[in-house]
Amino acid sequence: MKFLRDFLDRQQSLFKEGGKLEKYYALFEMVDTFLYTPGEVTRESTHVKDSMDLKRLMMTVVVALVPCIIFAMYNTGMQANLALAKLGQQSAFGWRGDILSSLGVAIDPYSFWASMAHGALYFLPLLIVSYMVGGAWESLFAMVRGHEINEGFLVTGLLFPLILPPTMPWWQAALGVSFGVVVGKEVFGGVGKNFLNPALTGRAFLFFAYPAQISGDAVWVAADGFSGATPLSVGYAGGQAAIESSFSWMDAFLGFIPGSMGETSTLACLIGAVILIASGVASWRIMASVVIGAGCLVFLFNTVGSSTNTMFSITPGWHFVLGGFAFGLVFMATDPVSGSMTKTGQWIYGLLIGCMVILIRVVNQAFPEGMMLAILFGNVWAPVIDHYVVKANIKRRMIRNGQ
Amino acid sequence: MANDTVKRTLTVAFLLCIVCSVLVSTAAVKLKPLQEKNKALSTKRNILQAAGLLEEGKDIDQMFSKIQIKIVDLASGEFDENIDTAKYDQKAAAKDPALSIRIPGDKDIAKIKRRAKKVPVYLVQEDGKLQTIILPIHGKGLWSTMYAFLALEGDANTVKGYTFYDHGETPGLGGEVDNPLWKQQWVGKKLFDKDWRLAVKVLKGRVNLKKPEAIHQADGLSGATLTGVGVDNLMQYWLSENGFGKFLIRIRNSGGGNG
Amino acid sequence: MAKITKVLFDPIFKENPIALQILGICSALAVTSKMDTVIVMTLALIFVTSLSNLSVSLIRNYIPTNIRIIAQMTIIASLVIIVDQLLKAYAFSISKQLSVYVGLIITNCIVMGRAEAYAMKNGPWMSFLDGLGNALGYGLILFIVGFFRELFGSGKLLGFNILKPITEGGWYPTNGLLLLPPSAFFLIGFIIWALRTWKKDQVEEEN
Repeated sequence: MKFLRDFLDRQQSLFKEGGKLEKYYALFEMVDTFLYTPGEVTRESTHVKDSMDLKRLMMTVVVALVPCIIFAMYNTGMQANLALAKLGQQSAFGWRGDILSSLGVAIDPYSFWASMAHGALYFLPLLIVSYMVGGAWESLFAMVRGHEINEGFLVTGLLFPLILPPTMPWWQAALGVSFGVVVGKEVFGGVGKNFLNPALTGRAFLFFAYPAQISGDAVWVAADGFSGATPLSVGYAGGQAAIESSFSWMDAFLGFIPGSMGETSTLACLIGAVILIASGVASWRIMASVVIGAGCLVFLFNTVGSSTNTMFSITPGWHFVLGGFAFGLVFMATDPVSGSMTKTGQWIYGLLIGCMVILIRVVNQAFPEGMMLAILFGNVWAPVIDHYVVKANIKRRMIRNGQ
Repeated sequence: MANDTVKRTLTVAFLLCIVCSVLVSTAAVKLKPLQEKNKALSTKRNILQAAGLLEEGKDIDQMFSKIQIKIVDLASGEFDENIDTAKYDQKAAAKDPALSIRIPGDKDIAKIKRRAKKVPVYLVQEDGKLQTIILPIHGKGLWSTMYAFLALEGDANTVKGYTFYDHGETPGLGGEVDNPLWKQQWVGKKLFDKDWRLAVKVLKGRVNLKKPEAIHQADGLSGATLTGVGVDNLMQYWLSENGFGKFLIRIRNSGGGNG
Repeated sequence: MAKITKVLFDPIFKENPIALQILGICSALAVTSKMDTVIVMTLALIFVTSLSNLSVSLIRNYIPTNIRIIAQMTIIASLVIIVDQLLKAYAFSISKQLSVYVGLIITNCIVMGRAEAYAMKNGPWMSFLDGLGNALGYGLILFIVGFFRELFGSGKLLGFNILKPITEGGWYPTNGLLLLPPSAFFLIGFIIWALRTWKKDQVEEEN
């Protein structure tokens, strides 16, 4: 591998200040530090209290996402295969069908690998689009601004396809990730300065721009002509009883339901949550307070009851396993950049998101799923919450110190 | 400053008010007839459009002269000839406790709370035969109250045209209720089945044209389930006993059309 | 002559009321989903701003300072009502689409701002031009926003199909976000971004 190091070293002068390709230093740096440990070392006495840097942090999140990714592909494929079986189709549609049949993979919802393969053909293209298009914007801004390409995008680019329905057209995914990266992050100065979660911003853009492709009941199962409503929209039509008659709670918990690809399995999200909390990457306070906030409001709605709105009757146990609740709770609300930073602030921020999710789900008829909007709403408030928490702290200390 | 004395202040304020009020009231009075005419024309236009009688470039008043306005008492289904049709305002009547009824919650499927007791209908007759009946109907969609004209053939069953002319639904989604293609699919649909039971329905997805009941069904609006439900609800209400039901039965029995 | 050019054209790029002063945003959100409403709204604002500037300037030496804001409001409000009446009489369907936003020109900060900041201190002719220039600057931004919203939001320009939408049997999937008022925020943001990249002196200092 020596030749690679030598090759990079030889090219380095081109990218250094005054070099011919100075503008592209960001790209060079990205490749270099991806392959090798950075060449610079701290020259004074070290000031590291932990080896946790941004790269490690982001890698931990990626590892925590692995169960969700595997399950996303498995469930997407399985739902599609089940639907095809119901429609009486022998093979998958379009180019996916060609690939699967040339590989000799049958349309079998009960085979793990057959489902995985089918699901991967939906998930991977969206993942590639997300990384390529988002990465291109990221590199462009890094070059223009002359800073390094940030690892944060590794996570954003992965989260984005996980919260899309499997049937999302690629060009729309490309547009969504562009909006998320540019408007959700880069206009504010890049990673660390954004106050909105970029992946959710991208999804919100698609949700309002092309609602036909990201809501309703025709998009969640990847089989043309098959209408598979998400449990939440079933709940709108008939309340808890309707959900229970079509889905079992266990299926919803494990994730064998139609929905955005990575969001269906509460179990996979919980595994991710354990990793994130154990490694100290995500705030357990935010997770706990979102659950408490949502639980209290659901309890209130259950008690009050309503004769016209069927969503009032859905119990907390169901709310937690449906829609994007678990995924948003574990991976989105806890985003260290766009969430609250102060400890007290995190409690308030979490409670706010928890209440908003349930409020949107139950009271607002237009949006069956509230997690995306609730988290974005929480993101908007996070800086204000932190500001007042810090101010209150200062005030308390002033009083304590008798000034 | 000399400008700031009380006398000066009052004089300037007084003069300014006089000049401005003269200008404003002149504009309002002079333009009033034209505005009224516009308003009337716009309603007529919507009615003509629902009835499929609108031809671009022709004089609206002339086209409208074919249309007769009658006021129907919904409780009996009879015409009320004593009311001046030119002056009757259904929206104002719906707010007046003496001229309207409160709809009980369980019957209020269109979610309009009150409705006028008497409602105008628009009729087209040719050679003494009833050709078209146009009913003004309204009800709640997702965000707003949607107002429509529903035109029927003389048999009081077949849809001739449907126009939503005032609504505040989401543009591009529920707002597609005024999309010409969506409105076009209504033409030829039957509201009632053989036994004259109300059978019309707005589906959630697309209509399967192979099924026999397709003649009563219309496509929903993609991405706007709840606006579709609203359209369905308002038709269920206005075409039922509580709405135009009695009137339609009377038309049917009098053999106004081919029935 | 140079002064006239400056008064008339500065508000278009250099001191644009929307992009630099961030005034008049509310109507820019509300009326820009279609080009025809944009054009009528711009014309209405040109009428009101230039005439209110002219009339305020004409009587600026007679207005007592303690009631000057009320006096300006009276003039602006009268002009707005006249515009509203005219639109209802001669452009009924568009005035219906514009609904309350014509009336809300009264609260448009640009009109009031120019009357107070410019017309109270300058002669009638220059004040008239200043009002005209500012209304044009406002109109320019509305025009750009309206162009993108109508073209990509419904595939049309001035009601004519350019990109034929799927809902009308064409190929173009319309972008619903652009039909919602918040999209104008994003577009105005992008315009300000572009303008300040071009004219760096408009960037506000960080504090």
